[in-house]
Amino acid sequence: MNNRDLEVLVNLQDLDMMIAEMAEVEKLGFNVQGKENLEEARNELIRKMSKPLLYKYEKLKKRYKRAIVPVQDDVCLGCFMRLPTSFSAKGREDAMVYECEGCGRILYWLD
Amino acid sequence: MEKQELIQYFNVNFFIPELSAATKDEALDEITSKFVENRCIRNQDILLAMLKQRENLGSTGIGKAIAIPHGRSTSVKDVMIAFGKSEKGIDFGAVDNKPVHLIFMVVAPPIEQSNKYLPILGKLVETINNIKNRKALMQVQTFEDLKNFFNED
Repeated sequence: MNNRDLEVLVNLQDLDMMIAEMAEVEKLGFNVQGKENLEEARNELIRKMSKPLLYKYEKLKKRYKRAIVPVQDDVCLGCFMRLPTSFSAKGREDAMVYECEGCGRILYWLD
Repeated sequence: MEKQELIQYFNVNFFIPELSAATKDEALDEITSKFVENRCIRNQDILLAMLKQRENLGSTGIGKAIAIPHGRSTSVKDVMIAFGKSEKGIDFGAVDNKPVHLIFMVVAPPIEQSNKYLPILGKLVETINNIKNRKALMQVQTFEDLKNFFNED
């Protein structure tokens, strides 16, 4: 897996959150007409992913609701486990997709 | 939520008194770059992809010269509201087809303990829907003016 995988994964999660909150946002009075565009965009992202990675994402999403969680101050904000410093240094480079050793969620470094 | 509570999500560093952007994409880019400059997000492309996807769903130009681009993104740490003004106006594909002069960009992380993102968005829309408030916001020149507006009853 590479950095492009992580970017696609994050895009996918952002899109899934948008789909999940669409009805509530519409209730606030916002224009939400192109719902089919979101599904199309989702399918397009999925086509860019390998099957094992998509399977991992969907499995984590089903289990935790959010498959990708932020890392802040070397802590996984999914399970609050402290990550090894060396791990964080590598993670910040976006060169690989890293999973939390505690909960298995995919990690995204915020700083 | 009260109108006064909204001010805590604004920041002088995300206050743009005159946007140089001429188009919607340029405006999204200019505003999100403030988050990057202030180290509030690391990857602007991810945030921009989400905001543009949201615009594809339907313009966040809610009419009456105002747009509220918004969304949750994994790349965002905290709920933040950026504010930008454009004297000349920007074509945002708004519901009334009129140019947008005020932009409130609301971004939020995937999960926030206080779960304030939707209430913030709702309060902002409610505030802006009031004609008196809209007129007052059009007069805002400085971050202090913005703070005073939100602190008023």
